[in-house]
Amino acid sequence: MIKCADLSISFENKNILNNVTLEVQNNLSILGANGSGKSSFTKALSGLIEYDGDITIDSQNIKTLTPNARAKLLSYIPTKLELYDTLITVEEFVLLGRFPYKESLFSYAKKDYYIVKEMLEFLSIAHLAKHTIAELSSGEQQLTLIAQALAQQSKIIIFDEPTANLDPKNSKIIAQHIKALKEEHTIILITHDLHLAAFIDSQVLFIKDKSAKLYEKEFFSDTMLEKLYGTAFSNLAVRYD
Amino acid sequence: MIKNLLWLTLIVLFFIAPFVGAVDLSLSEILQGNTLNATIFYDLRLPRVLFAFFAGGILALSGLLFQTLFRNALMTPYTLGISSGAVLGAGIAIKLGLATLMFGIGAVSIFGFAGALLTVFLLIYLSQFLRASGQEALLLLGIALSLFYTSVLMVIFYLGSAIQNDMLIRFTMGSLSVIGWKYPILIAVVALLLLLFVYRYKFELQLMSVSDEQAKLKGVNTKRVTLLLLAVSSLAIGVLVSISGPIGFIGLIIPHLIQKLYPVNITQRILKTTLFGGLFLVACDMLSRTLQTQSELPIGIITAIIGGPFFIYLIIANAKK
Repeated sequence: MIKCADLSISFENKNILNNVTLEVQNNLSILGANGSGKSSFTKALSGLIEYDGDITIDSQNIKTLTPNARAKLLSYIPTKLELYDTLITVEEFVLLGRFPYKESLFSYAKKDYYIVKEMLEFLSIAHLAKHTIAELSSGEQQLTLIAQALAQQSKIIIFDEPTANLDPKNSKIIAQHIKALKEEHTIILITHDLHLAAFIDSQVLFIKDKSAKLYEKEFFSDTMLEKLYGTAFSNLAVRYD
Repeated sequence: MIKNLLWLTLIVLFFIAPFVGAVDLSLSEILQGNTLNATIFYDLRLPRVLFAFFAGGILALSGLLFQTLFRNALMTPYTLGISSGAVLGAGIAIKLGLATLMFGIGAVSIFGFAGALLTVFLLIYLSQFLRASGQEALLLLGIALSLFYTSVLMVIFYLGSAIQNDMLIRFTMGSLSVIGWKYPILIAVVALLLLLFVYRYKFELQLMSVSDEQAKLKGVNTKRVTLLLLAVSSLAIGVLVSISGPIGFIGLIIPHLIQKLYPVNITQRILKTTLFGGLFLVACDMLSRTLQTQSELPIGIITAIIGGPFFIYLIIANAKK
């Protein structure tokens, strides 16, 4: 369970979220316009940015966690990988997910390599193991990122717009993987895609005007969407005409 | 194939290096011992070759570290003005006439070391005022510092006596000439400690070479590790430059070359870069001793003549991206 008490986030003197208090039971989809603070919220959660107030996960205040303990608790999957060293292979990249568990200073354990192999097979990308990240398509990169997060064996996995760069076919593959992961993990999903959010079937956090509000399934009802977006669900699928 | 040939050539040169120079030595003379040539071999040539080897290793490895930590191929201790800081420190010691020894180490070396170290702290301090993405700004800061140091050095030149200026000019050109084993052993220890230290942090480095965010998310205290690695490699560079004077461009060329030869991730390039840097500097030094018969060309000039055009190439290649 994730609890936020009086959570406020500012970035470069600009207030992004103001006094948000909420309790999330389990999985969560986060919706809201560009720049509304969705990513900032998850970055605060993952310890990447500073915030005021308290966030507790399973009654542990995450400010008191060591970076290592936090890495074991939650992993974060960015929309797109921006690498400096593009010479790293898929296998090596997924192995980085085992860093929080590394005991020896100079090497990873056999078990770590085994877990990497398992995850690559689970996501059907074992054939890409020796390829460098730079050679992959966007869909394959997203799968590699998921494999790394799974190797990290954290309870919570945060997805930051996972389908934003993907074609419909790959979006579907990723969506199905995310849904399947609900079995063993807590999923936090940032997305603009209402269909994806509805498919994942979780509580919804809607962020608007520096505040955030939690909704249950009723979020996807036409009356609620009309209230929040000013139009019905059927009209919210992106149309370009 | 080219890779192996390159390594083989450098290794062969490494073994030939102690025998060539102003006086060519043969193996039989050396094995006899107690001859003048044997003394040249054991007290001058062998220490010098090993000094060059470990110095090249430190320069190349520090270059790789700086480039990885700053995520910019142009970042090296040399381009950031750390070597210039050492030159200025040495210049001040020479101008003040501090040729006397402190703790068995020349005052010039101690001042050079202090100059390098002060520059590092100054860069770290000033970089606080840059945005996280201010890599170019940091590089410009380094260049600005270098220019400033050079103008102060000009003042010292202007005020200096002919003897002082001659000492100073020789120091600024860089030299690997050492007498006896004191400095080679010191530099070997520094090089090995640096290598061990980098190996200790190689997985953190690997994560940070992917992205700063990724490293943080995996539990790396990126700020602390960055400062630690920069401080340790700057210390190593400081010790080296205070003895040898500035030797530029090794830290720029070798990591880049190794990356081209071995397109693998950083953890597998650490040792290769270090060894190649060492062998490459030995070869450069051999060149400096053989090009001229009466005396030798300063090593800094050789590496700069090779490195200058390469630097321009890197800037253009970077800008194209």
